[in-house]
Amino acid sequence: MTESSTLQALPDRLELSAPASEEMLDLVHVLLEHLWQQHEEVPVAERMRVEMAVIEILANVIEHAFEVDAGRPAADERGDGRRFTITLGVTDAEVLIDLADNGEPAAIDLSRVTMPDEDAESGRGLALALASLTDLSFHSADGRNHWSMRCDLS
Amino acid sequence: MTEFHVDTTASGIGVVRPEGRLNMVAARQLKSVLADLVAGGTHRIVVDLADTSFIDSSGLGALIGGVKSTRQQGGDLRIARPTEAVLTVLDLTNLTKILRPRDTVDGAFDD
Repeated sequence: MTESSTLQALPDRLELSAPASEEMLDLVHVLLEHLWQQHEEVPVAERMRVEMAVIEILANVIEHAFEVDAGRPAADERGDGRRFTITLGVTDAEVLIDLADNGEPAAIDLSRVTMPDEDAESGRGLALALASLTDLSFHSADGRNHWSMRCDLS
Repeated sequence: MTEFHVDTTASGIGVVRPEGRLNMVAARQLKSVLADLVAGGTHRIVVDLADTSFIDSSGLGALIGGVKSTRQQGGDLRIARPTEAVLTVLDLTNLTKILRPRDTVDGAFDD
């Protein structure tokens, strides 16, 4: 079973589909709080790591969506608003998160991501997500960008 | 919604206390709070992180920006009382040198 299908098979998984806008970050923080209430067995250290990674990746998706849309009519007017769908679940051994968006295909090579120098004011997002998780993968297919995150429970 | 409490001590040190989560939305606000302080002549700033439950890379970017702009004016920006969540991020990003956590707000500029 792949991680995605494991996640889709969890009866108590949480799912949210929403516009790719900054205001939705807080909603995802709350969604994570709800997940931890359902799964008190997840240690605090793993909760923090997952929250960091999810928010970094979602911020990346939101920024990318706006970047691509710059100079074009607002997404609402075009009727093809940028959206994301997030699915979260916990198994006996791991926290699994899927994040998909309908933005332009993103050219991201995670093997090239490194932590920038200490005086850099940006560019830490993906490096931080990678450092926080046991596994992070990305692929783009059929008009959707798809992030898959896994954090093993200690 | 993240709130920012801003104070200036008798010795002219600016104290900024963000309350809530420092994500990309709040980081922009923090950046402008810090820029306003520096523009107003406050070049020593303590960011009190006791009530900051979460920080992401944009929040870190705002703090690093503050370190650079205060140092350019001969001052500094220091952080105090970080929560466990903030300490974890500082460790993962190797920023504990440029943003060395201090135990107290009052003593942040003692060395």
